[in-house]
Amino acid sequence: MKLTLPPRVSPQGFDSALQAFAGVVGKDWVMSSDADRDAYSDVYAPGPAEQWPASAAVAPATVEEVQAIVRLANEHKTPLWPVARGKNLGYGTSAPRMAGSVVLDMGRMNKILELDSKLAYCVVEPGVGFFDLFEHMQREKAPLWMSVPGNAWGSVIGNALEHGIGYTPYGLHARNLCGIEAVLPDGDLLRTGMGAMKDNPAWHVFPMGYGPTWDLAFSQSNLGVVTKAGVWLQPAPPASLELIFDIPEADDIGWVIDTITPLKISGLIEQNVFIPSWLGKMVLKGQRKDFWDKPSAIPEWRVQELLKEHKLGYWQVALRLYGDESVIKAKAEIVKAAMARNLKAPPVENWWHEGDAISAFDITMGIPSAVPLQMSDWIGGRGAHMGFSPVVPATGEHVLGQMHRSRKIIDSFDVDFYASFTINGRFANNVNMLMFDRDQPEQIATMKKLFNALIDETAKAGYGEYRTHLGWMDAVMDTFDFNDHALRRFNQKIKDALDPNGIIAPGKQGVWPAAYRDKAAEGQA
Amino acid sequence: MKRYAIIALLALAACKQQGGAAEPAKGGPPPLLPYQMRAEVPSGDRLAAGRDGKALFENHCGACHLIGGMGTNLLTKQRVMAGETPDKGLLANRTDLTADYVKQVVRMGKNAMPAQTRVDLTDAELDSVAAYLGKAN
Repeated sequence: MKLTLPPRVSPQGFDSALQAFAGVVGKDWVMSSDADRDAYSDVYAPGPAEQWPASAAVAPATVEEVQAIVRLANEHKTPLWPVARGKNLGYGTSAPRMAGSVVLDMGRMNKILELDSKLAYCVVEPGVGFFDLFEHMQREKAPLWMSVPGNAWGSVIGNALEHGIGYTPYGLHARNLCGIEAVLPDGDLLRTGMGAMKDNPAWHVFPMGYGPTWDLAFSQSNLGVVTKAGVWLQPAPPASLELIFDIPEADDIGWVIDTITPLKISGLIEQNVFIPSWLGKMVLKGQRKDFWDKPSAIPEWRVQELLKEHKLGYWQVALRLYGDESVIKAKAEIVKAAMARNLKAPPVENWWHEGDAISAFDITMGIPSAVPLQMSDWIGGRGAHMGFSPVVPATGEHVLGQMHRSRKIIDSFDVDFYASFTINGRFANNVNMLMFDRDQPEQIATMKKLFNALIDETAKAGYGEYRTHLGWMDAVMDTFDFNDHALRRFNQKIKDALDPNGIIAPGKQGVWPAAYRDKAAEGQA
Repeated sequence: MKRYAIIALLALAACKQQGGAAEPAKGGPPPLLPYQMRAEVPSGDRLAAGRDGKALFENHCGACHLIGGMGTNLLTKQRVMAGETPDKGLLANRTDLTADYVKQVVRMGKNAMPAQTRVDLTDAELDSVAAYLGKAN
């Protein structure tokens, strides 16, 4: 990819910035060839990756190096785009929101600094991936489980900071963060919570602080560069029981939500309950052309045939209980009785006991896998996906309304409807998965129009997204419109106070520093 | 379902041919699939030439390209459709790869695989990995 300079930086100014960075990290860790820029581009971009070009990347190995780079970036007015491991696939990968930003790749900072089996937490750097942490816990024989996302190739901290969601009792990953160290936009170093006191041993166990609590101010944020964080882990249970309910009809999702939510809020069900529609199961069975060989959406009659052929319900609830066997048995009876009020067929029951094997496809048991990404093969070619992900209250009324609305819009674009709802407690995340071939421009154009329509119509109904791709960060921020966009105004005031040069991640989540506010119109999908 | 079952069987077959970790140890829990329990990252300067290509491959590429990994699953399907045996889904079993081809795919990406940065795998590490996988040279 050809070089796009940061705004208002001359070629000479850019070269001297890179030389200054090389003086800190060594020339091999400043990466600025065309091939490097390709490697830091958004490979799953809806459209040309050139829309979000990085100018270069720099990879520090220590906190001191991060501080030095941030100070130099201020001096040379070269904005940085921090990424943990750069595997935020579907949301921009490692590409920056603002063209010409230098990617600050934290992948070399990959130390597991602490693993406390007694209090069930770890302290890690941003370059630590889910596989790395899992393997370390296995080697240490730590009786702990992580909560993993569908793609576990990425960073433990990065995923939590981006508000990633998993499917265990610890599935709300940002809530597992406790005690953060961050380099601020002026190069200063902050520790949040109890870590603000030197050597306080309660840093990673007490989730608040003295005065305002700042941990989550560094999530989906451009207020600093996180260099380490405490992450809470789940004590490994001695047993687990999976109850699989096939739910026949699309509209059954209403009673399913109203049945499961109270059990989740009460604590009887601990995990985040993932409820994918039938297509979530089909994508792992082959390619789309094996089941429907036309570009148009799979029609309803064919959907019904496929459900019958593959013995699937429209939805599947694969609910998992964890703990001592006797407790699980008692809980299972309550869950089964609640579901039996609307569903005659009993669930399939799969017991697991400590020492039993765990399926590679199961993301509810703390074992990392990238296997669910195999769905990229469904479309064929260079398959890619985007998720439209609004949040709604976890009641049948809200969920049915959301499903009918998004389904109507997706149907009107003649695109397959593939939805999931994850019950996290009082709210449900709805992910509408949109899959496309990166080499089919007409598919990309359709997906972009569809995505815009989904954002607009969903916002009109009063709901917002929890996370989005680079190209829609501003569009989604626009939907948070209370009191003339008070949230954006507040974020920008803080941003300008802490980062007057706008050096850290300009435009992240639609928050633009004064220095680059004129760039907000660029790079919108 | 049938196709998925076939893929699972192929992966298992590949695993057994590799002398992989499919057999449970007596009395203990079954071992994890290789991609879920990679070898530790080899020690040494990441910028230095001549490190162990096999060990680097298994650590840096193993989450997808060891037995049971996503890349192996997809490649097993591809290789079988191309008339080859399922064990060729594992890159380590391929005899038709050249070092240059390996380098190109790693840096440029291919199909579902994104390009790898020089933080993911340094040039020196890539040389070692390419020498290990490039058996057609």
